[in-house]
Amino acid sequence: MQPKPILLNACARAATAAEARFRIQVPIAPSRATRVVALDGGAVDIVTRVATMPWASARFLVSTVPQHDADETVARVDLHTVEGTPTDLADELDGVDVAIMVATSDAGADSAAVIGAACTVRGIMTAGLVLGRGEDSGAVAALRPHARFILVTDDEDDVPEVLTALRT
Amino acid sequence: MLRQEINELLTQTGPGTDMGALFRQYWLPALLAEELPENDCAPVRVKILSERLIAFRDTEGRYGLMDEFCAHRGASLWFGRNEESGLRCAYHGWKYDVTGQCVDVPSEPENGSFCANVKLRSYPLVKVGDILWTYMGDPDKRPDLPEYEFIHVPPEQTYTSKRWQECNWLQALEGGIDSSHVSFLHSGALNNDPLFKGAAGNKYNLGDLKPFFEVADTDGGLFVGARRNAEDGKYYWRITPYVLPAFTMVPPRGDHPVHGHFWVPIDDENCWVYTFDYHPVRPLTGDERQAMKDGYGVHSENIPGTYRPTANKDNDYLMDREAQRRNEHFSGVRGIAMQDASLQESMGPIVDRSKERLVPADSGIIKARQKLRKAAIALRDEGITPPGVDTAHHRVRSAAVVLPKEEGFFDSVQEAVSVRPGVPQASV
Repeated sequence: MQPKPILLNACARAATAAEARFRIQVPIAPSRATRVVALDGGAVDIVTRVATMPWASARFLVSTVPQHDADETVARVDLHTVEGTPTDLADELDGVDVAIMVATSDAGADSAAVIGAACTVRGIMTAGLVLGRGEDSGAVAALRPHARFILVTDDEDDVPEVLTALRT
Repeated sequence: MLRQEINELLTQTGPGTDMGALFRQYWLPALLAEELPENDCAPVRVKILSERLIAFRDTEGRYGLMDEFCAHRGASLWFGRNEESGLRCAYHGWKYDVTGQCVDVPSEPENGSFCANVKLRSYPLVKVGDILWTYMGDPDKRPDLPEYEFIHVPPEQTYTSKRWQECNWLQALEGGIDSSHVSFLHSGALNNDPLFKGAAGNKYNLGDLKPFFEVADTDGGLFVGARRNAEDGKYYWRITPYVLPAFTMVPPRGDHPVHGHFWVPIDDENCWVYTFDYHPVRPLTGDERQAMKDGYGVHSENIPGTYRPTANKDNDYLMDREAQRRNEHFSGVRGIAMQDASLQESMGPIVDRSKERLVPADSGIIKARQKLRKAAIALRDEGITPPGVDTAHHRVRSAAVVLPKEEGFFDSVQEAVSVRPGVPQASV
């Protein structure tokens, strides 16, 4: 194949440092409306600490023990904010782009199932952060069916790190 | 996104920078052994971590890597004569041994002491596998030589190539961690490339374009697991290891050789990509080795006599729009290496990461950046040895496995992602 000559405006030339100044510069607004949900007691402490940092569009929530109906299937999960104010899952997910579930054990498996299902119905991206590397693989197993992305780490800083990277 | 100051911290590797200090904790590939093929061969200019150096192999077969420029008037020693156990500057005849020690200044009296006080900065240069490795840090903290499996299998089982990539090292590295682009950018290769096609696992890649990801933190780096649906309620996992600062492997396919990369900063706007293929238990076949030399798999076809790819930014990477329409190549660029490089170079020499819009699929990249940043700061502030210096961290493998749905890759494949001499790679 005979290569075509490169014109002066070809993108390959625009990859130089000198040409970089011609890239369009537009302020980027926070692009992800995010809900961060603590699934168990250990996660509550972490999420509460992270919630004190400045965030543009994130809300930090705590899931309570799921409510079961008569045939023992999980019916709903009750939420409250880290300040203790009760809130509703459906309301919290309205207009949300991504839901991040934080777990330190498998205690929140039922909550993860409910939240994950609710997100799937609404087309909301789900992610899971599991703190405590290798200490409780049950937490990962609990999240696996419901989170498209799971980060397993022993570094609490990963929670704000991921939120920052996602522009929340 | 990254704040600008963190982007600068991660992308600047010259002397006196935090990331430069981090890189100087490790043995790094400096050049291929084939570049210094015999005693007294021509010297080779090497730029690494923004330092201009000259490499040569003396009359006794000793390797040297030192300041490129003569201590006298600053002329390049590349023009020098490599003879009689030293490299002699072509300008006024000053001569240096492999340690950078000046051993002859012709204009000075014989038996004079002048040249004993002239020494160029030099670094050790050691052949391990097909690569000449250097360590540019504190000599008192020199770690053990690298133990990556691809440089320790017998020579007939391994092949390494190298190419120049015209962008910052971190842009290139991040492509090695980012599994989510494979089903798009490299989709054509799964059907066409002789080093990829035919593996049973390929159908899972092509059949499930929305993989789930799990990222597991390890002492030496990360494992990134990409999960796709397989038959009978099982998952197909592709597991990518990353070892700090710049080593990644690609999950294997069938019995094809296993491959990966070492991403080495030349300066802040260029890097060397060392690309390897090896098989843990058998020699590479003639066809496999030839395919690698021809630029298939993750290797590149280079301009003869150079390590610059034939397809490069000066010819628009030989873009073939017809092949793109035929879905032969998703991007229209031939070859996995140049498919990656073309897009990474298009981002600019150092991409402005404050303008990014990352998504959860980028979790591996997010975590890798964090590990690099924390390691550089811990080294700077507390002198803590970073991950990946310990050679135990080098003994990792990539893997491709099918697991029951209830099993996670990190719990179930510890053996598969560890080097086990004489044991084949875990692959589908």
